[in-house]
Amino acid sequence: MTTTRPDRILGPGHDEFWNWCARGELRLQCCDDCAELAWPVVQSCEHCGSNSFQWQAMTGKGTLVSWCRFDHDYYKGLLDMPYWTILVELDEGPLFVSNPLSIPEEELALGLAVSLAFQDCEDAGGAFKLPVFKKT
Amino acid sequence: MSYSAGASLPPPSRDLSRSCAVVGLGETDYRQDYQAAREAARNRDPDYRPCTPEGLALKAFERALDDSGLQRKDIDGLSVSFLYGGPDARSTANLLGVQPRQFVDSIGIMAGPLPAACAAIAQGKCDTVALVYAVATRAQGRKFGGALHRENAAPASYYYYHPWGWSSQAAHWAFAWQHYMATYGVTEEDLASVAIQMRRNAMATDHAIMHKPLTMEDYLASRYVVRPLHLYDLCLVNDGGVCLILRRADMSSGLPHSPVLLGGWGEAVVGCNKMDTLVRHRLRPQFQEAGRQALDMAGLTLSDVQHFECYDASTNHLVNHLEGHGFTAPGEGLEFCKSGEMAVGGSLPVNTAGGMLSGSYMHGWNHVAEITRQLRHEAGPRQIEGVEVSMFSLAQTDRVHPLIFMRGNSP
Repeated sequence: MTTTRPDRILGPGHDEFWNWCARGELRLQCCDDCAELAWPVVQSCEHCGSNSFQWQAMTGKGTLVSWCRFDHDYYKGLLDMPYWTILVELDEGPLFVSNPLSIPEEELALGLAVSLAFQDCEDAGGAFKLPVFKKT
Repeated sequence: MSYSAGASLPPPSRDLSRSCAVVGLGETDYRQDYQAAREAARNRDPDYRPCTPEGLALKAFERALDDSGLQRKDIDGLSVSFLYGGPDARSTANLLGVQPRQFVDSIGIMAGPLPAACAAIAQGKCDTVALVYAVATRAQGRKFGGALHRENAAPASYYYYHPWGWSSQAAHWAFAWQHYMATYGVTEEDLASVAIQMRRNAMATDHAIMHKPLTMEDYLASRYVVRPLHLYDLCLVNDGGVCLILRRADMSSGLPHSPVLLGGWGEAVVGCNKMDTLVRHRLRPQFQEAGRQALDMAGLTLSDVQHFECYDASTNHLVNHLEGHGFTAPGEGLEFCKSGEMAVGGSLPVNTAGGMLSGSYMHGWNHVAEITRQLRHEAGPRQIEGVEVSMFSLAQTDRVHPLIFMRGNSP
């Protein structure tokens, strides 16, 4: 089932990220000069200022750092309320804000092992695949 | 790693320490304005006139001028902070009836206007700066999350995670608090102690918005905004204005009130790995660095600080400040609050007018106003006995900026 989501940020760099998602891959920018990974998408490296990147594939494995439930409807009826969000530390290092996929509330815990999945979504920019995480 | 990349303030310098003083303070009627707005909304009063940034600024300025004992002609510098829109600096000068020879860049929230004004004074551009701030946050119906935040209008974390439904300042603090709870084994009841202490402080403050007692039961029964944060964990939304008059220290004696000297400042920003810095480290590297700068500039140490005012966007963020600067060890901030150390009479009174949680959401200007009152020894029932040194700490999700103040000679 396709769900409508608040709009993504699109444009140079951002489009490449979502294009990889559309192919079922989570890839982040890796700086050619200092090898640091970037997320969210940047135009120049936050560590060294370089603007040369490769799109490095993530394994999709990670662990839970934090989680919170939105009870206040900031998006004015667009999303089913309430809903959970999670902060995942990818095995490669970056922290990634996402949604849990079928993880019961009582199982949300520091260090919980999670794995990448994709959810069919759409926004003003069209259909897209949203990276989310399920229990490993 | 450098925490000063992207810093926007004049560099801290011992030469500037104590070179100027707050000699005038004006605040608007937060409590009356808040109640009037709520009552008008309840009654759908067609004659109600909402607060405007212009009206609030003028009222705060006139009160500050009167408080300072100075005349309009003495005001030769102007710093204007209409955070959510308002007239430009020149129009504001006309509105206030002053003819400054220097306009000082301002920032909006209390993240730099005082150092900028101090530097302008030190450079001889002016002697007496009126710093005016006003927001009609509630009257304008401003929202704090969702599609409001667009690309480049705010830090990326404010808008980038929209597709996952994650936005708002509250969401930042919620992630940090959930991580803190899981790390230190504390609970919502523990955090309630901060909201309750801020309410007690507000109840001893005439102009504070919240005077109704807050109990543990009230707190736990209140709605979640972004769980685990309750309504009472998040700062108020209200209209108001503050004016501070900053003057060359050697021209600050013989006025009606004790001058409040600006002793030092610091600044540290989050350059990279923002979510990690905010959620797992709770900005501690930035608090440590910026606090050290400010104390060094003032020639003081942390143990000299007798009163602490900090940017309490949320209850747990207040704890971030305490622990970040080193007033308590990480993980011990809530015990510090529960044991009464943050109350007037405790070892470190914090946000004695109720902060932004129960006092007034004036983006840090309210905290500096309270410091001014405390260091003048004019804080009435909540006066900290004999206080000589106060510290203010501003921290947003990606920046820390502390200020040190000390009591000058009596008039």
